[in-house]
Amino acid sequence: MITVQNLSKVYQNNRAVDDISFTLSSGKCIALLGPNGAGKTTALRMMAGLISPTSGKVELLEEHSGDIRRHIGYLPQHPHFHSWMTGREFLIYAGKLAYLSKKEAASRADQLLTRVGIFEVRNRRISKYSGGMKQRLGIAQALIHKPELLMLDEPVSALDPIGRRDVLDLMEELKKETTILYSTHILNDAEESSDEILLMHEGKIVESGSLSSLKDRHQVDKISLQFEDSPEAYSQKLDHLDVVTRTEIKKETLDVYVTDQARAREIILNLALKEHWPLLQFEVGRITLEDLFMKVVQSYAVADRIQ
Amino acid sequence: MQWLTVFNKELLESWRNFKWIWVPLVFILLAITDPLTTYYLPQILEATGGLPEGATFEMPEPPPSEVFMMSVSQLNLIGVLIIVLITMGTISGERKSGVAELILVKPIAYHSYVTAKWAAYALLIWISTFTALLASWYYVNLLFGEVSAGSFLRTFFFYGLWMTLILSISIFMNTLSKTAGLVLFFTITLVIALNLLSSVFAHVVKWSPSLISSHLRNTLISGELSSALWGSAGTAVLFIILLLASAAYTLKHKEIS
Repeated sequence: MITVQNLSKVYQNNRAVDDISFTLSSGKCIALLGPNGAGKTTALRMMAGLISPTSGKVELLEEHSGDIRRHIGYLPQHPHFHSWMTGREFLIYAGKLAYLSKKEAASRADQLLTRVGIFEVRNRRISKYSGGMKQRLGIAQALIHKPELLMLDEPVSALDPIGRRDVLDLMEELKKETTILYSTHILNDAEESSDEILLMHEGKIVESGSLSSLKDRHQVDKISLQFEDSPEAYSQKLDHLDVVTRTEIKKETLDVYVTDQARAREIILNLALKEHWPLLQFEVGRITLEDLFMKVVQSYAVADRIQ
Repeated sequence: MQWLTVFNKELLESWRNFKWIWVPLVFILLAITDPLTTYYLPQILEATGGLPEGATFEMPEPPPSEVFMMSVSQLNLIGVLIIVLITMGTISGERKSGVAELILVKPIAYHSYVTAKWAAYALLIWISTFTALLASWYYVNLLFGEVSAGSFLRTFFFYGLWMTLILSISIFMNTLSKTAGLVLFFTITLVIALNLLSSVFAHVVKWSPSLISSHLRNTLISGELSSALWGSAGTAVLFIILLLASAAYTLKHKEIS
């Protein structure tokens, strides 16, 4: 429903967003992933029309026409409100700005206040709201005009675990009604609640697609081992094997990346039996989003250093 | 519709932070100080110790229109500062805090946003100026003698136009800078520069908007509307339109926060 073509934003010499293109289809929940400073916020703000791109464009497809802002709801990373208003007043104000009549805006505001769970404090001044309440109010104002595309910039990173859970559940529900594009650097959230991901690094989209297709594509098979004692000694032994590409120690766990999963499993198990390794855990797993993330970011970091 | 939404919100905001109370009050205070102190100066001198023995002090009674103009100049000094102070954060503050991010992603036209804010403040300023000049006019009539209702209304109208121009400059500066202090600085600098330039070139350019108050003085004395006053008023209107258009344009093409 929305297409982004060769979008770039250059600040002085810094290419914050560097020639990104993608299409979002209706009814999906897309996570925009990337480390801090990857250009996620800049990309979202260009799509929301808050900043103008240096080059490239954002286009709505066929059935949606006119001002792009009519079709999108946007929640910035740190939403600020007119703190002298009450939550309900602000929602009605936002609704009226989005062409709702006074009556529609009021009923929609009450409905959303209930939905995001701040109905009890609707008549309190926003200056008295807690951080979690403000975030919820922020989501409510983004939804006030039933946008086809909901863009959320780091919707959960500032919340406590309970608030985070609530917002993720809410997003799960909203998926049925609208397309959601949200940025995050928390990989668990992305893995849990998105259908597709766009992975940004240094202004570029370095990976995109559905989570499962990405995992297939990056199927660096991995075997995780845990021992009764420290894993260092074993990692050296495994490094010499020809099926092993590299090993990585994460606290107690030894991750062994291999080329041929079936053969590697046999070789490692045989070795373990022969040498009487005190194995606690032997797990054959596929790459997780976190691994993928680290892999992509690191490979780019290495490339940068070589240059 | 959207224009009215922003306009109403601005009125409500000004009401909730008491601008609708203190701005008219301060304006009234400014406007009546001069007529009152001028009239009661002998009594004030008496009460604070009086004149030295033997000194005689003859106060010429100033003409009513002159006293009325004193109120206007008083407003011109501090009133202008107040206008800039109350408006210096209206857009810049919203941009700085990030509220503008929430507002301007809603499908509102930038020119509506700018002009609705402008209109809400213009209303406050016109009403404050009106009550202030009305109070001054009342005391002048009471204490010094008659200034005609026509003169009062004319002064109000043309002077209101000058105040509106100040407001428009401030609104425009609001879109240039996110820092309220800079908005204040730029606006005051521009107003002072305008005043200086037009007093230096007064013999050449008679239609500068900052000459409105000096034209008004002549009008009050002669009782006739001069073409120079109309000219200045015309330029003021033109400037206001240009400033508002540029403000909307700047806001649209600038990074919002």
